[in-house]
Amino acid sequence: MSEHGLSNERLIWMLTQMTRIREFEERVKGTFEAHPGVIRGHTHLADGAEASIVGALAALRPDDQLLATYRCHGYPIALGTDTKAMMAEIYGRKDGLCGGYGGSMHLADVSRGFLGTSGIVGQGIPHATGAGYAAQIRHKGQVVLSFFGDGAAKQGAFHESLNIASLWKLPVVYVMENNNYNVVTRVEQEDANAAAGEPLAVKAKGYSMPGVTVDGGDPVAVYEVVSEAVERARSGGGPTLVESLVYRLSAHGNIIAPPGVPLHYPEHEAITVFGDKEEYEAALRGDPVPRFRARLVTDGVVSSEQADAIAEAARAEMEAAVEFGLASPFPAAEEAVKYVYA
Amino acid sequence: MAHELPYIAAIGEAIAEEMARDESVLYFGQNIATHEDDPFLKQFGADRVRVTPISETAEIGMAVGTAIAGYRPVVELYMAEFMLVAMDQVVNEANRFHYMSKGQVKVPLVLKAGYGFTCGWAGQHTGTIYSMFMGVPGLKVVVPSTAADAKGLMTTAIRDDNPVCYFHHYLLTLEHGEVPDGEYAIPFGKADVRRAGGDVTVVAIGWCVDRALNAAEQLAASGIEAEVIDPRTLAPLDMDTILKSVAKTGRLVVVDQSTRHGSAAAVIAAEVASEGFGSLKAPVKLVTALDATVPYSAPMEEYLLPNETKVVEAVQQVLGNAPVAA
Amino acid sequence: MPTEEELGLLRAMWRIRVFEERVGALTRTNEVHGLVHLSVGQEGVAVGVCGALRDDDAVYGNHRAHGHAIAKGAPLASVMAELMGREGGLCRGMGGSMHLVDVAHGFLGATGVVGGNVPLALGSALALSLQGGDQVAVVFFGDGAVQSGIFVESVNLATLWKLPVILVCENNGFAEFTPRSAHTNVERVSDVVSPYGIERETVDGNDVVAVRTTFERFLAKARAGGGPFLLECLTHRLRGHYEGDPQHYRQALADEEWQQLDPILRLQRRLGVEGEKLEAEARAEVDAAERAARESPFPPPSLTAELVYAR
Repeated sequence: MSEHGLSNERLIWMLTQMTRIREFEERVKGTFEAHPGVIRGHTHLADGAEASIVGALAALRPDDQLLATYRCHGYPIALGTDTKAMMAEIYGRKDGLCGGYGGSMHLADVSRGFLGTSGIVGQGIPHATGAGYAAQIRHKGQVVLSFFGDGAAKQGAFHESLNIASLWKLPVVYVMENNNYNVVTRVEQEDANAAAGEPLAVKAKGYSMPGVTVDGGDPVAVYEVVSEAVERARSGGGPTLVESLVYRLSAHGNIIAPPGVPLHYPEHEAITVFGDKEEYEAALRGDPVPRFRARLVTDGVVSSEQADAIAEAARAEMEAAVEFGLASPFPAAEEAVKYVYA
Repeated sequence: MAHELPYIAAIGEAIAEEMARDESVLYFGQNIATHEDDPFLKQFGADRVRVTPISETAEIGMAVGTAIAGYRPVVELYMAEFMLVAMDQVVNEANRFHYMSKGQVKVPLVLKAGYGFTCGWAGQHTGTIYSMFMGVPGLKVVVPSTAADAKGLMTTAIRDDNPVCYFHHYLLTLEHGEVPDGEYAIPFGKADVRRAGGDVTVVAIGWCVDRALNAAEQLAASGIEAEVIDPRTLAPLDMDTILKSVAKTGRLVVVDQSTRHGSAAAVIAAEVASEGFGSLKAPVKLVTALDATVPYSAPMEEYLLPNETKVVEAVQQVLGNAPVAA
Repeated sequence: MPTEEELGLLRAMWRIRVFEERVGALTRTNEVHGLVHLSVGQEGVAVGVCGALRDDDAVYGNHRAHGHAIAKGAPLASVMAELMGREGGLCRGMGGSMHLVDVAHGFLGATGVVGGNVPLALGSALALSLQGGDQVAVVFFGDGAVQSGIFVESVNLATLWKLPVILVCENNGFAEFTPRSAHTNVERVSDVVSPYGIERETVDGNDVVAVRTTFERFLAKARAGGGPFLLECLTHRLRGHYEGDPQHYRQALADEEWQQLDPILRLQRRLGVEGEKLEAEARAEVDAAERAARESPFPPPSLTAELVYAR
């Protein structure tokens, strides 16, 4: 494994973060069954994307920054954000990461470089581009990662941002997590490149920017590709478009419905909309978390017992996060009119 | 000490002075800084002053990201209508971040955009749409009507830690005025009583302030003294000054170049009806643009807009000197 | 001997040339007021494209659309009257220079916000394809519009749905007051759309025959069910972005340079034709249009209330 320059320690770190993200997301999903009514509104899980998230973040320096979408739980977990505060935020509690103001879609941990999210598809891409501009003129060699999905690549915001980033040689790496779905639509139904059987990374050609596709289920492969892009950005070479192929293992989100209707997670759209059980089951078989664990055990990087211990620690951590969230009080109602203006 | 400047130059002066005072202020947008002789580019360099493509979504979105990352961008948008192309970034992104993060981030940015250019610029370039941005939590809206106010309000806009829509009226572009030398900041939420009077309160916005002042001169000839108030900022809106005036005069006319239900006038009238009802001796009259897209042809364009005659008529109506039109 | 078709191209370009120069003069006396963008120098594109179309094809122009409208068949007098804000104008004075519409000739309109017309053309193309005929939609835009998000959203959708739309880019190297290099580091518009694999070509937009030939090739395919297409026409905007633009941002072309570029002079040289007679004919037409426009009254103010909603 040493050709990518990752030490065993680093590989074990990757497995740990992937495991923690999976466990956290399972807990969020489980809350709908175990504690109905606690999570309101809409949540979107990163299960299936752990390898891509962790592989990408492993390429960063502590002073680098990132912005993401409403499917944002994975990034702060890997960055070390307190998972208790995260769960409390998703439960709308006072001790939440954002005091209950943001919720699942709007996590932020500025001290760790996670500048925030947008809930509107594609609109965070210009935000990250602006943060990239700031990083450029700060002249400290910082890089910004912009995370978004395949659906966002059809938004005008994507086109405008990549054009400017390329023209100004901004230190941004655009990471498109292509999970083949935009809610209930398959990518080839809405994307001309996908319809032609092409990878979406080809869109980079229109901006004179390198575009590369990577197996988002392999954290080491993602690390290699993103590292290269980060180095290019850091050395003033400008932006890159990285298309990371992932498969989300949950539905787009929990059910959206007015109160009274239970908000659990339905089955994946592959099954409910397209009747393609085999696609989903193949994805389950290729689940990146157990796959990476197996690879590390096989390669002798980690023992079975150590891997079990990592999983157990994650379970305990996320159990504690749920307990903390449930016990955290709600903010006082009148807090609603604070923080409107700085 | 003061010096005479046209309105548009007063705005530029404020931007330049703030950029000199604070290295974190940036200035970007279409058609600026395109040659090395550009004064902003020469003074502040290519890091801080940049030309962008025609990409309003990215321009405004990048301003949000740059602001979150610690800078203070001023975006040159030219026309309020061009903000419509990127409406999400203005009313659903820039204004939300501070709140949704419980104050972890601030979004200090200024969106500079002209409006109201009724000079044959036709339907898509002549709107007065500032009221679309009122009542948007987290967003501030500024509408200077004089060169001095243009400078003072831009200074405050740049220093404000929130997103500010700075709307400058195109018909006022070359209006000269005395502008204070050096540092000059006008606080938001402070209306300006431009003319004192005891018979009727006339609140007017932007280009309509001069219409109101001219109408006041005409009315004075018949012995009617109008108090003319320029709110200067629409969010925050200084209702205290307006209510105090209405308590004195008992009558209110509001003059606004927007269309009736899309006007700041409607908001002001509602506030007075709600908070100052006891002071009113007559219904509130709104003098706004008629409800149509601004047409190209000159006589039709004029027909649509507020003018001195309409203001005088409205004043006579609230004074009971003329029948209130149905 | 020049063919009738070739003479027709020349006549059409002269009409636009003389008309635009006349409008320029009228803005200085304010008989044409407001914001006006003239297309002097770009006549080859308007004529090369619009002359090949039918009245039932749908064409959208941008803010620099007088040439598009005229080439598509809008009567000169009606366009002039519109620019003078008169009742006899194409839009009875409601729209002005940037909002010319002539439905009878398939000119669905000029629009004033950069890029805003591109999805409109997609809509027309969709409607036309659903109706089952062989009509097509065409949209004109400049190189500046290509960096707008709305452009690529439209390219993706047009490609995905295989719409019968021909995107015609008048690449004159400037977007308002800035050169293309300030907008993107991709020089050719046809390269910006290269990821989408749509059929595209870049031509010398000041060679009206080249424009016509290439456009007709795309047109035939579009009528047969193909689409979308992109035709990038490299051209030159001789005057400022708008009338009154002091043009500090670029050097004026030397006369000799312009003579080499001018689409009218080039075709005349190629055909061995002198221009005076054609220019004089165009001038007579424009004179008549100006007179007729001036005689048309201003519209009644009540029109502003009548047209807000369709009844």
